[in-house]
Amino acid sequence: MQICFITFRSVTPAQRAEQLLKRSGFSCALRRTPRWMERQGCSYGLQLPLAEVQRCVQLLKQGGISYRKVYLLGEKEQAEEMTL
Amino acid sequence: MIYLDNGATSFCKPLPVYDAVRRAMFTCASPGRGGYSLAMNAGYRVLACRERAGELFACDPEQVVFTGSCTHGLNIAIQSLVKPGARVVITGFEHNAVTRPLYGLGVKISVAGQKLFDWEDTLTAWEAALKKGADAAVFTHCSNVFGYILPVEEMAQLCKKYKVPFIIDAAQSAGVLPVSMKRLEADFIAMPGHKGLLGPQGTGLLLCKDSAQPLVFGGTGSNSLSPEMPDFLPDRLEAGTLNVPGIAGLSEGLAFLLKTGTAAVLEKEHTQAALCAKKLQEMGLRVFAGEHQSGTVSFLPPADCEDFAQILAQKDIAVRAGLHCAPLAHKSAGTLDTGTVRVSYGWNACILQTQRLCEAVAEIMK
Repeated sequence: MQICFITFRSVTPAQRAEQLLKRSGFSCALRRTPRWMERQGCSYGLQLPLAEVQRCVQLLKQGGISYRKVYLLGEKEQAEEMTL
Repeated sequence: MIYLDNGATSFCKPLPVYDAVRRAMFTCASPGRGGYSLAMNAGYRVLACRERAGELFACDPEQVVFTGSCTHGLNIAIQSLVKPGARVVITGFEHNAVTRPLYGLGVKISVAGQKLFDWEDTLTAWEAALKKGADAAVFTHCSNVFGYILPVEEMAQLCKKYKVPFIIDAAQSAGVLPVSMKRLEADFIAMPGHKGLLGPQGTGLLLCKDSAQPLVFGGTGSNSLSPEMPDFLPDRLEAGTLNVPGIAGLSEGLAFLLKTGTAAVLEKEHTQAALCAKKLQEMGLRVFAGEHQSGTVSFLPPADCEDFAQILAQKDIAVRAGLHCAPLAHKSAGTLDTGTVRVSYGWNACILQTQRLCEAVAEIMK
């Protein structure tokens, strides 16, 4: 299964997003953003399956929750930024 | 104890407030500082409080900034909006939390509206002052001394009409009167967490329309690489570790209000304040009462107000005497020399409190 990672600027929008997605029936995991992925330092992100990322991003937009970037995770600290 | 000093801080609080503070001490670390459960729990507690505040005050959770007090919030708001040398309009009922920061900035202050309980006078004076030209306006929703509820919606409309940015001091109204960011479109609304919102002391909220200038700089758990504070709310104004136990308690205070409804709280407080005013007037005391009054009432005792309040304290009745940190309000009402005794009801207002107070006052006057 391919995994995506949505980054947020701080814990507040990240936890809002997590709650919104879980309430809407999506499974996602909240965690700290890996250092190699976040140049600005210290942030949080949501890990979720690629198959659900499009619908999840749409929900976030509808809910007025801003996110930074969406990545498709590869192997060994590699990620490709996605445009949705 | 008959506690009638809710204008200073509400006492006691709904039971879940105490439980939440204790629970947070055992289950929460610092929000936004880690991915482990204690840090995440702290984040969830804090977010729940932002969301409840957002629901009660009709704004986005990220527009809700935690402060240590209403005074702290007002200082952030004033420092953000008012520049040295600016022309600022205030009402004649402002607290030192408004007047001192303005005085400190060396601005030109114009005082508009000094008649108690008179909306027509307040609005006429307000418009006249704005019309003369102003760079900002700061006004209280409700006088902490006299319980005078000001016509904030109309005052906000006038500020918008004259394109004057404004700050509302909701120290005495939040949790009791309707306060809506959406309706008022204020640049800032500052409020304490420990008065009408029923949270612990050391908590406060600042509702922000857009961004603001930080008063305190430091770590936020976000954008750590940058030497500057983040440019987004709430992080921009929340440097340092948040008061998580306090915020957890405040969150339960907000939950209580969302369930009970602020109108029900106002009704209880106002009923007792009106009854108290009537009974004290019947004793021949000068009582400051009128239309547009909250659950707060001030009166002039037949002795020094501090001595009178001290005797009431000896009878286990808590009221506040003196100038109530609002000399401008006393100047407006003509009580600057004497001060007043202030009775301020809370969410648990009941007739027993009014009866015991009035019996005690009558006893002292014998």
